[in-house]
Formats: sequence, C-alpha cells, structure tokens
Amino acid sequence: MTTIRLLDPAEATGRAQAIFEAVLLRERKVFGATAVSNVWRCMAHVPEYLEANWNRSRALMQRGRFTPLQRELIAVAVSAANRCHY
Amino acid sequence: MRLGLDEAGVTELLAAAEHAHALAVVAAALLLDGLGSKGGLVELVDPLKARDEVAGTLADIEALARNALGVEVVPAVWRALAGNPFYLDATWQKERVLMADGRLTALDKRRVGLAVAMNARVRYWIEYHAAVLRHAGGTDADLLEILGVVDHYNSLNLITTAMQIESDIRPPAGH
Repeated sequence: MTTIRLLDPAEATGRAQAIFEAVLLRERKVFGATAVSNVWRCMAHVPEYLEANWNRSRALMQRGRFTPLQRELIAVAVSAANRCHY
Repeated sequence: MRLGLDEAGVTELLAAAEHAHALAVVAAALLLDGLGSKGGLVELVDPLKARDEVAGTLADIEALARNALGVEVVPAVWRALAGNPFYLDATWQKERVLMADGRLTALDKRRVGLAVAMNARVRYWIEYHAAVLRHAGGTDADLLEILGVVDHYNSLNLITTAMQIESDIRPPAGH
C-alpha cells in the first residue's frame, strides 16, 4: 500500500500539469507508457519537488555521451542494489 | 525493467550488478583502502612466492590486469583472496565469466560495476572500475555521467520505497 495518495494527473494544475505532460511524452517514447508513472505522481503534491527531480531526470538521463540504454543499465543496477521494488 | 534486452541480457545485467556488489562488500571487509592498498585484514599473497594452487590463477589475473588496467601487478583484492585457493578460484572464475563481453559489452558491465561500487561507497572498487574505464579511454565526463545516474536513482529509490509506491511499469505483453 502506498503511504500517500497518488495525485491524479487530471487534478494537476499549472507547473505540475505541464511537467506531467512532459513526463508522459517522454515515457510514451521510451517505454510505451499510456499514463504518467507512479513515481512522478507521488511527488506532485509539492510541485516544486516534482519539478526539481524532473529537471534532474532530464539533465542526468537525457543528456550525455552514453546511450539511453547504457544509462538505464546503471539505473537498474543501482535500484537492484538498493533493493528497490519499484 | 524496460530495457529492450532479452532475458539473458537482463540476467547478465543483474549478474554484473550482484557480482560488483558482492566484491564491494569483500573489499570493505578486507579493509582494503584503495587500489594501491598494501593490505588490511589479511596478508596479500606475493604472486612470486605463491603456492602452486594459486600461482596459475594469479598469473592469469596479472595478464588480465595488464590488459584492463594497464598495470603490472595483481590487484590487492585478488592477492588477499589467494590466502584461500578455493575462494580465489571460484571468485576469479565468476569475474572472468560475468565481466566479459556477452549480450552486454565488457565496458558496459564495468560501468555498471562502477555505479554499484559508488552506490556502496567502496573506495577500492570505485578506483578499480574507474581505472579500467579510464584505461579504455573514459574521461571525467563519463565518470560524472555514471555518478549522475547513481545519484538520481538513489533519490528515486528512496522516495518510492519510503512512500511504498507500487510499481506500475509492466513488462511488455507476452512476458
């Protein structure tokens, strides 16, 4: 059970709404998502927080010399080492 | 998991991560403080004076270290494990098999190894994996790119675990 309600993208306004749209655009392209994934929805109660992490995600996961797959390999390895189920 | 890898590729990835994590624990437990460590918890076996059971393996390691790290010495972690020939052999065989080219390249696995070592905060293996990557042409920008992903996923892992967010990322249909 989540310890917090996941913000419904339909409820999002302003900055959060714009970020949700950008997130969905990227996730659809990267892995065929049809909805904003839960990790982003749980942060959106504080839009500034969502924005800070989204900006880091764009800076760290979309830019650089490695391929997206190479970065994703690292992401999965770290998540596994941290025993992160998500 | 959304990598576009087949099952063997995913297993290779997790094997490299698991192996790098296990060796990070080993180096920390052996109190090896860096790639140039002179020893810690146990004596580092001198390859020139090694017993027959480990001499061959240490020579094999030295040849690989020359290629991968560009150094003429057997790295301390392997010299420490050489105090137990079975332990050294089994662990070195695992390293050779898992860190070689497969579905993932050896360099991609090395980047995964560095990420896991950074995440575990183990200086010895951070220096080891980074030395391999630099020897293959890796730059500061590469190391920072790897650190960035480690850092970002530590953030995301913490928030999703703390809030017990259920995963909504499903494998593609047919899996």
